[in-house]
Amino acid sequence: MSESTSIAREEPATSHQRRGQLWSRLVARKELGVFLALVVMCVFLSLATSNFLSSLNLLNVGRQVSLLGIMAVGMTFVLISGEIDLSVGSTYALSGLSSGMLIVMGWGLLPAVAAGLVIGVCIGLVNGVLSTYGRLPSLIATLGMMSIVRGVALLMTGGQPVTVNTRNGAIPEVLDRFEFMGQGYLFGIVPMQLVFFIVIAVIGWLLLSGTAFGFRVFAVGGSAKAARVSGINAERVKLWSFVIMGVLAALAGILSMAFLPSGQAGRTGLGLELDVIAAVVVGGASLSGGVGTVLGTVLGVLIIGVLRNGLVLLGVSPFTQEVMIGLVIIIAVAIDKWSTRSRSA
Amino acid sequence: MTQNPIVELVDVTKRYPGVVAMDGVSIRFHPGEVHAVIGENGAGKSTMMNVLAGAIQPNEGELRVDGKTTSFSSPLASQAAGIGVVYQELSLCMNLSVGENVMLPELARRGALSPLASLRAGQAARPVLERLGMGRLDPATPVAKLSVAQQQLVEIARVINQDTRLLVLDEPNSALSPAESEKLFEVVRALRAQGVSIVYVSHHLDEVLDLADRFSVMRDGRLVTSFEKSPELTTDTLVSHMVGRDVATADQYATRPGVADHMGEPVLEVSGLTAPGVFEDVSFTVARGEILGVAGLPDSGKDALGDALFGLTPRSGDVQVNGIRLSPNRPVHSIAAGIAYIPADRRGAGALLTMSVAENTIASALGRFLRRGFLHRKPIRETTEYYIGRFGTKVAQLDQAIATLSGGNQQKIILARGLVTEPKLLILHEPTRGIDVGAKAEIYDILKGLAAEGLAILMISSELPEIVLHTSRVLVMAEGQVTGQLSGAKITEETIMALATRSRRHAA
Repeated sequence: MSESTSIAREEPATSHQRRGQLWSRLVARKELGVFLALVVMCVFLSLATSNFLSSLNLLNVGRQVSLLGIMAVGMTFVLISGEIDLSVGSTYALSGLSSGMLIVMGWGLLPAVAAGLVIGVCIGLVNGVLSTYGRLPSLIATLGMMSIVRGVALLMTGGQPVTVNTRNGAIPEVLDRFEFMGQGYLFGIVPMQLVFFIVIAVIGWLLLSGTAFGFRVFAVGGSAKAARVSGINAERVKLWSFVIMGVLAALAGILSMAFLPSGQAGRTGLGLELDVIAAVVVGGASLSGGVGTVLGTVLGVLIIGVLRNGLVLLGVSPFTQEVMIGLVIIIAVAIDKWSTRSRSA
Repeated sequence: MTQNPIVELVDVTKRYPGVVAMDGVSIRFHPGEVHAVIGENGAGKSTMMNVLAGAIQPNEGELRVDGKTTSFSSPLASQAAGIGVVYQELSLCMNLSVGENVMLPELARRGALSPLASLRAGQAARPVLERLGMGRLDPATPVAKLSVAQQQLVEIARVINQDTRLLVLDEPNSALSPAESEKLFEVVRALRAQGVSIVYVSHHLDEVLDLADRFSVMRDGRLVTSFEKSPELTTDTLVSHMVGRDVATADQYATRPGVADHMGEPVLEVSGLTAPGVFEDVSFTVARGEILGVAGLPDSGKDALGDALFGLTPRSGDVQVNGIRLSPNRPVHSIAAGIAYIPADRRGAGALLTMSVAENTIASALGRFLRRGFLHRKPIRETTEYYIGRFGTKVAQLDQAIATLSGGNQQKIILARGLVTEPKLLILHEPTRGIDVGAKAEIYDILKGLAAEGLAILMISSELPEIVLHTSRVLVMAEGQVTGQLSGAKITEETIMALATRSRRHAA
């Protein structure tokens, strides 16, 4: 950055030079740092363990991070728009349990899944309206919604576990297709959850980096005031970011239900919101808005996934794993902050 | 004045990087005297106030209290010497009572805010309140419930209560009604009778004319003149001292945008525009090819005009662009109707500071750069390069962060962003604030060129030379109302200042 500043004082670059540099931010330094960290971790693990590099293990890591990843894509939009959403763990639980219960009640796959997703949309709308037109800080609005949604899930299930199987009333072929969503393999090798994650990540990337909506998310998060002066409806942009987040949290919850296939309102997705935010922040997004990419988020999710997997392979105790993950979050964001400061100085 | 001055500044100079805020100022403040300090924005009045308050230390010169040379290392040292400053922005604790606020320095020293301490504070505050003619005010009243005028008197009471011998009042009546101002003047006269020396900093010339015994005029950091009140003194005399800078030369006037040459049909028609509490019943039109300036002092309401017209803040009244009525609170509609707006706060509201030059250029017209739903690089690049070339903007890369550009180059990019929407009307608020002289001239040229192409331009500015030289017609505001319109040769700093300092009390 400091280099380009000094160039700015001299003569303008030719249009040919500019052409090569335009949109080069796609591979800006931010993701490069996260990417290098990931590579270092992978190299270390492939040397230190015998089975890290096996395709089976790698696909396993892919599946393990998929649900976190799907939600992190949504959280990327929310954080870049300058807001935060703490209700996603509860949405994950309520949507998954709802779809599961509907299938147990004999509903078809599409209506049951659609109902779960609609719940996610509605929660996103409420979060968005409270945080924009309602003028509540999103930290508070979604903190309240986190509790409300969790409570609704508890009321709906009476606190009892929900298990999706034919014995409870699910139609056999519906159950098969539901379980395929969560447990199946595309072409017999790629876990379906990973397929969902890849599709969501690609759509999220295109939406954020290529469309007018994505542009507006960055503008609003950078400065809501300047965005308004530019003719951008800041409230609407934030509202839509919350809706995207709600839908993706619901999708992840439904896939989780399909994978297990059971859940309990008091436990499912508890504390998940913090894992999601951590992954996005490790990926380079800023909690103060205006900064972040889907690519960075995917790398952040992979770092957390590879770290967990690696620590298991290395035989590190689960308690120590928690400490390690916390350290990685702090170190990753610290490096990012310190390098940003020196760059802008 | 036979008495010795309480406080005296001798050849005081205060420099900031690139600016001399105070340039060898010598001034004396005598007991029992109201000393009015007047001058335009940036004349050095605030710097002098801050030197007296101990908030800043001068680079050169002496500060004498009772004839003894001293220096204030902090505001506390200034207070200990008997100097009290009441700033335009009041510094009361809104959650405390009148008595607690008056006695706050005392309470803070003891660290006690108990109910008993409050009761005592109320009793202790009575004498000073009576001294200021507020004996009937209950000291237990929360200050949040008082009017701005009463709050100001409470603040004065607090300052006076600390054995203040020199009271500095900064724009004391900018938020007051005529009746409230009269009450304030009574208090000031009463304090004068008690031997307090009062420094009265104000823009409202007709009021200081009544009140002050001595006048000091500052301009460009220097004390231009200082004289005692005399019967033949008028506001016109004061204005001519204030703006006395080299009057624009004939050459400069010649480049002023013409009035009649290409004046077309009205583009913007505003009638009865009101922003609650800021300005009311403002009506004017801006024609095709015209640059209409809006001038006024900081409390005139002009600074809220741009946001209200563009729809960022609430308003009532009729705003039409090319005959289409604009809905309030909808910037998106304003842009669609043909308004481009460049706000005064370039870093906070103008530039999308986290985004690139190219992104800033296209932000207001994204739809134009979409191909099948996706932003298309080629037209973005071409448009950005076109405006960079047209305005001579110094940019290394199109994806360079706009935050890394100088103020002038940032402003050119923001101007380009407005023009990409192909507006009919361009509203600029303080278009050259914080921009170096060279870039300023370039921006004026750009604006003249745009006007010549038929764009209607509304330029709201606090810089009189800018208004005088670069507009074809001027609207002057004071105290939330339009006090006059000037055009052609009638636009001078003197005529503008005369209208801008006309208070409602005297106009009525």
